[in-house]
Order: sequence, then structure tokens, then C-alpha cells
Amino acid sequence: MLNKQLIVDTLTAALSTGGDFAEIYVEDRTNTGIVMIGGKVESTMSGRDYGVGIRIFKGFNSIYAYTNKSDRDTLISTAKKAAAAIEGTSGNLSINLIKSDVKNINMIQIDPDTIEKTKKVQLMRQAYNTAFNYDEIITQVTVNYTDYDQNIMVANSEGLWKEDKRVRSRMGISAIASKNGEMQSGFFGPGASKGYEFFENLDIDYYAKEASRIAVTMVNAKYSPSGRMPVIIDNGFGGVIFHEACGHGLEATSVAKGLSVYSDKIGQKVASNLVTAIDDGTISNEWGSINIDDEGTSSQRNVLIENGILKGYMIDKLNARRMKMDITGSSRRQSYRYAPTSRMTNTFIDNGKSTPEEIISNTEKGLYAKYMGGGSVNPSTGEFNFAVMEGYIIENGKIKEPVRGGTLIGKGMDVLNKIDMVGNNLLHGQGMCGSVSGSIPTNVGQPMIRVSEITVGGREGEV
Amino acid sequence: MDMKLMIEKLFAEGKKQGMEDMEVYYGGGNSLTLKVFQKELDGYSLSESEGLSFRGVYNGKMGYSYTEKVDETSIEILIKGAIENAQVIDSEDEELIFEGSKVYKEVNNFNASLAAVKETDKIKFVKELEAECFKIDDRIASVETCVYGDGYGETIMSNTKGLYLQEKSNIAYTYVVVVAKKSDDIKTGFAYRTGNDFNKFNPKELAEEAVKEALSQLGASSIKSGDYTIVLRNNASADMLDSFTGIFSAENVQKDLSLLKGKLNEKIGSDKFTLIDDPFMEGGLSSKSFDGEGVACKYKKVIDKGVLKTYFHNLKTAKKDGVETTGNASKSSYKSPIDISPSNFYIEKGDKSFDEIISTIEKGVLITELQGLHSGLNTISGDFSLAALGFEIENGKIKRPVEQITVAGNYFEMIKNIEEVGTDLKFGLPGDAYIGSPSLKIKKLSISGE
Repeated sequence: MLNKQLIVDTLTAALSTGGDFAEIYVEDRTNTGIVMIGGKVESTMSGRDYGVGIRIFKGFNSIYAYTNKSDRDTLISTAKKAAAAIEGTSGNLSINLIKSDVKNINMIQIDPDTIEKTKKVQLMRQAYNTAFNYDEIITQVTVNYTDYDQNIMVANSEGLWKEDKRVRSRMGISAIASKNGEMQSGFFGPGASKGYEFFENLDIDYYAKEASRIAVTMVNAKYSPSGRMPVIIDNGFGGVIFHEACGHGLEATSVAKGLSVYSDKIGQKVASNLVTAIDDGTISNEWGSINIDDEGTSSQRNVLIENGILKGYMIDKLNARRMKMDITGSSRRQSYRYAPTSRMTNTFIDNGKSTPEEIISNTEKGLYAKYMGGGSVNPSTGEFNFAVMEGYIIENGKIKEPVRGGTLIGKGMDVLNKIDMVGNNLLHGQGMCGSVSGSIPTNVGQPMIRVSEITVGGREGEV
Repeated sequence: MDMKLMIEKLFAEGKKQGMEDMEVYYGGGNSLTLKVFQKELDGYSLSESEGLSFRGVYNGKMGYSYTEKVDETSIEILIKGAIENAQVIDSEDEELIFEGSKVYKEVNNFNASLAAVKETDKIKFVKELEAECFKIDDRIASVETCVYGDGYGETIMSNTKGLYLQEKSNIAYTYVVVVAKKSDDIKTGFAYRTGNDFNKFNPKELAEEAVKEALSQLGASSIKSGDYTIVLRNNASADMLDSFTGIFSAENVQKDLSLLKGKLNEKIGSDKFTLIDDPFMEGGLSSKSFDGEGVACKYKKVIDKGVLKTYFHNLKTAKKDGVETTGNASKSSYKSPIDISPSNFYIEKGDKSFDEIISTIEKGVLITELQGLHSGLNTISGDFSLAALGFEIENGKIKRPVEQITVAGNYFEMIKNIEEVGTDLKFGLPGDAYIGSPSLKIKKLSISGE
């Protein structure tokens, strides 16, 4: 995307004031977004993001600069401006760039750009029709279509030089059910690191029906109970509990500075023996998978927790210096507008031995969270929260009436230690994760799990 | 390349390819961010960036496209993209290119003195801010985040109906997150300032606010579940209003996505509840003279003493409802199509001080922070259940800190149950809009805890 001499000259300019590491990142990305409301295409947007980010390290400190232009004058002057933030003189660094190939784990069959928009709209119409016709109380359906093709180049003063291509596709279906002046919504948003073949093989009707089924179930549901109780969280997007309760706390961003509740706890027990958790960026074509991270390191499978013992963190180049630990292929960013840092890819709790039936029948009283919404965490205190999108009361080992509007809250390690049953039906769900380096695609995942006690926030009394 | 020339070429080429009215929206600017950790400048970033959004009518439908490569090589892609996009639109609502308002009120969002502040002074400020936090109390274990940033932006709107508008602004912001620790008890405190007058940023004041927030939460525990009288502190109420702004959008109303449909001129809130959108507010960080379609902005009461007076409109939704646009068309960046959002949007302050409100409560909970607003509330139903921090109120006094609770209710019900509105109007961090609220006393919300 840039010629070798220009890369070398830019990196050299970046190191001209004594920086000990410099990196250049080029992004050229095309986006397509289509919104359909009420069966009609309301808006479409397509465009091209293009920019260059230059990063310099000196010790633990980092400097970042970005620009939309990539001509020689702009790049050299941007690198020099960034370098000016360091006071020093240039070391005798010679940069020997060697271009290396990237192993592609996300094979793309059909480039989305080669498919006409009208065809994409047809798929959306199918989703709309199925969702809208699911029940007469469905009053509105919104369908979002997105695909993008992100081409990146990363090179650094250690000689690394790589280019990669990332194609992702996703459809979001949101259905609204109305009854007696009330409205409730249901959502499903499958996505993958795939081209248009993702949509061709997608069971659109299934997801559309699920979105509507959730909305209809919730508009007929009473309010969620409140208080501390056992909670069963189903597989798939339910894995957001680990993402919030623990995942963010294992990112070097907070660990390196000693700010995470999981800092300095490698080898210690942080979760129930039943919990093994993994961040794996190498699963072919998954939404959160990457061939290389945004520093050019090949992605890998990182075991975070094994049988309750903390095994590792997610670590980027800068924080690796502070932590004196190895990088883990976890450095990510939304775009060239952000310096990369340690983030999650596909993060999940691994399979256990219980069957879902066993977990439910062994629970006398509590809440069953079939689908979860999003959540958030304060990594310094470990306090997290996340929303239950579709919940049910459990009584005497059976799933009873639906409840809505529940939120689960707790503190990280406390809830991991209270996981007392882990199912055998691991499934992934797709989401967007927002943090310091922007919003990035990540998978969450888990089999069905049970937490012996967690605070459920609802509007009704105890179960 | 000269921007005017580039736009002329773009329009000429578009016309050649069969486009009718066309418009360009250009955004450009630069920014600087400084982060300090343990006395060192551990993060420094700067940027210079721009982007151009194009839209135009093709066969009666509006098509959009954008690019961050702002030069002649992008003209063809922009036109091709917009035409392709127009061809798949099947909404019958007509989107319009606007010829311009008769009068625009002047708004000055650019402060030359901010542009003149030396970088060394900014670095000194952010280092001082961190140092002040440690000075105040031994229980401050770390300063998690300590940031100063500023930015300059300019916008140009130009169309084939003769509209040409230009605007520039600059803004500075600073925020700090401190961690207080007492044995195993860890609490964080957050404080921020925004504006374009650097001299108004006082590191000591900011540090004190963040430290006080963190220390006051030490020793917190949960509270018994039940219904309580609630004081929603100004920042918490502003955050919640921010999440619910979509319910006032005429677009959502027309698309059956807002429960405010059919409620115009009806009483939907307490007598004490007045909601104002003021694009000309003194010191407002979303002040503007024209909106995303080039329409002159105007002041409006959205809710007046509990009565819903208007929705937020752009040209398209206004035409559909047979009303005048309220000048609330928005474009959060050159990457987005025309949307709707408020400007400086706030709950009008009342007549009771914060302390006076607390003194009226025999038993209740003060909520100082809400978490997970992006997931724990449903803007369609109005239902919310949010993780919260706060204090227990007993006999008119703040008794003890409370954590690990959720506060749940329904926003449409809640605004009917506002019993008192404070005098302490405060604005949140600016996003697409600048949103503020005083503290509110709410008759009843459900708390879940022990």
C-alpha cells in the first residue's frame, strides 16, 4: 500500500528524536450500510475510509499521530511532528524491512462488492417479511445490513512488514411488538468474517422469527423479580457475562498499570474449578477472528483461565514492556484513528460436562436468562452489569413464565467463583465491543452455565 | 486542491450523469490528546483529518456516499456510490436539498485564545492534575486516567440550490479517574470539564471533585430490595435523558418506534418538568446556527410544564407531518446520512437546592451514577433496570454509601412522578448533542439489592 522506501523514511523520521520503536499503519476500507424500516429501504451509505497512523515508543511512553493523506510530504511531516513530543537525539538505528506473508484463516468466497445492492436488499426484505408476519402484534421491523472490506498494512522499525485483508458481513434484525399501549423489542444480529457467502448460507428466516418471538414473548411478560438468586444463563451471547465480569479485566490495558482486580494474580484461583476460559482469534471465519492483530502479530489461542486458575492475559507490545511478558496477538483498533491496544477476539467459557436439561432440572428456584443484551464493567472495581433480553422464572426444575427488564450485576471474581454448573453446548454470539481503541467486532461465547447466586435487578419482589 | 473548485467539478460531473439536486458536506480538523500516568506523559496523540460526504437526487430518490480521500480522484466513486444507493431506496418520504434560510443567527464556537495555548502549558496542566489527586488523600491508590485534549473542526455545506455555509469551532476537555483504596475496598471517582476557555480549567478543583466522589463511596454496601423515593443526581439524570433522546425524534414517531406517537399537546410529565432545546445557549457545546440540512436552528420547548409541545424534525419528517422543520437535522459526521438530534438539550432547573431536596426525604436513595445505559434500558418500551451507585437517605440526611444495586422503572412513568427539580443544572460530556439536567426527586423507583 506504500512503497518500501517511503515506509523506511517515515519510520526513520519517527525515530529522529530518540524513540526506540516506530510503527506505521495504513488502512483502506470500503463500507456498505443499508437500513430498511417497515419493509422499505430508508437509507444506504457507502464510502471509503482511508488513513495512516504512526506510533512511536520510548520506554513505556507512546505517541500516536494520524492523517488521511499518504503522500511523502505529509507522512514525513506527521512523523516528525509526532517525534517532536520526545526530547532526545536519534540512535543509530537501521531499519531492515522484510515483507512477510500472512496466513489466511478467514477465506472469503464472494467479495461483497461484486454483489449488486438490489440483491442485498432482497435478503433484507426476506428478513423483514418473515419477522413482520410472525405475529399480528409485530408492529415494526428494522433490518440493518452491513459489509466491509478493510485492507491494512503494518510495518515497524523491527523490520516487520505485513498486509492483510479483512472482510466482514452482518445483518441485524430488530422487531417491535405492541400491545395495550406498550412496546417491547427483540433483536438478533448474526455476523462473520466472511463475504457474501455468509448471507447465502444464513438461515435468515430462523433469526427473523427469533427476533419477533422475543418481542412477542416480552410484551406478554411481567416484570423481572429482584434480589439475589440462582441464575441460569444460556449458551451463545450469554457469554457476555465472562466478557464483562472478567475479559476486560484481563486486557493488559488495565493489568499493566496494576489497575485491574486481576493484576498480579497469575497462577492464583480466580474462578470456580469448572471454569476454563479462552480467547481465540484463530477460529476460521468467526466474527472476532483476525489473521494478524493491528501490530502485525499472528493471532493465537490464549488460555486465560484453566480449571479456575488464572493462566494469562491479553497483551499488546506497549504493555508487554511494562509487564515484562510476551505479546499475545491481541492488539486491536477500530481504525487508523486509534492507537491499538490489548483487546478480546473470540472469548468464551469452554464446554463442561452437564447437559442443559440437568442444569435446569437441578435448579429449584431462580431466573433463566435465555438471551442476554449488552453490558459494561469498571475494571478497577470489577463491578459489572448486563441486561437480560429474554428471561424466565424457574420453579422446581422447570422453566415457567417469561419475565422482562432484568439486569444482572456483580463483582468480577465473586461471580466467577459462584459458577456451579457448566453445560456442554458451547455456542458463540456476535457483538461490538467498545473500549479505549474504539469499537471492534468480538465474539462472546459459552455453554449454558449456572451461577449459584447473583443480584437480579427487576421491578418485582423475590421469586 | 481548492475546495470550491473540487465541489464545482463534483456537481458538474454529477449533473452529467443524470443527478438533479446535489449537496456536499465537508468536515475537517485536528486534535491533540495528552495522557499522564505516574508523572510521565505516557500517551500523546495528534491528528489531522478530513472527509467529504456527498448526496444527491437521482430519479427522485436521495443517494449518499462519502470519502476520506478528499481529492479529484474520488469524484467518480462518490457519484457512482450515490447513484447506486439512490436506486435501492424505496421509501416514499421525500428527502430535500434546501436552498437556505432567510436569516441565520450568528453563533461563535471558536475561541482564538484556546488555539494560542502552548503545548507545554497543556502538559503542565495535565501533570498538575494528576499530582493534585495524590496530594489530597493517602487513600488515593492510583490515578487510572488523566487526560487533556483539544480539537479544532470546520464544516462546509454547499449545494446546487446555492447554499454555501461554513462554520468553525474548537473545544478542550479534561477528565480524571481516581482509584481510592482502603484494604480490599476499591472505589473510583470521575470528574471532567469541557469548554473552549483553557483558563477555566482548574486542576485542583477537578482533582478534589474526583477524589471526593471516590472517597465518599468507600465502605459502601448493598441495600434491601424494595420501592424507594429516589433522588436522581444531575449527572445521572442527564445520562438517562441522553439515552432517551430518540423518543422525541419525529422520524421514530412516524416509524412507530416511539411511544410518544399521538401524544402532542398531551400532558406526559409532571408540572415541574420542562425540556428545552436551545441551539444558542451561552457556553453550549452543541450551539450552532444551522443544522445538518442547512436550515437555521431555533430555540424550542419540547415539553412545557409536562405538556409535549413538539417532536424534533428535519425537512423530511416535517413535510410528512405538515409542519415546519424544527432545525434538528443532524449529521454526526460526514459518514452518516441525515438523522435527527437535539442541540443543547436540558431539563429546565427548578427552585429547590440539592440539599433542600434531600431534606424533604424521610427514607430514600440518592443515585449518583448509572451504569450500562447502552444495554440496561429499552428506548422502545421506556423500561430500565440499571446498575447504580449512590447513598441511602434517612430523615432528610445522607446516611451511607450504597453499591451493588440496580434501579428500575419506566421512563415514561418516571417523568410523571417528578416531585421536585433542583437548581443544580449540569451538562454531561458532549456527544451528538449536549445534554443537561438538574437533580430530580422521583416519587418511587424499584431498587434491587440484598
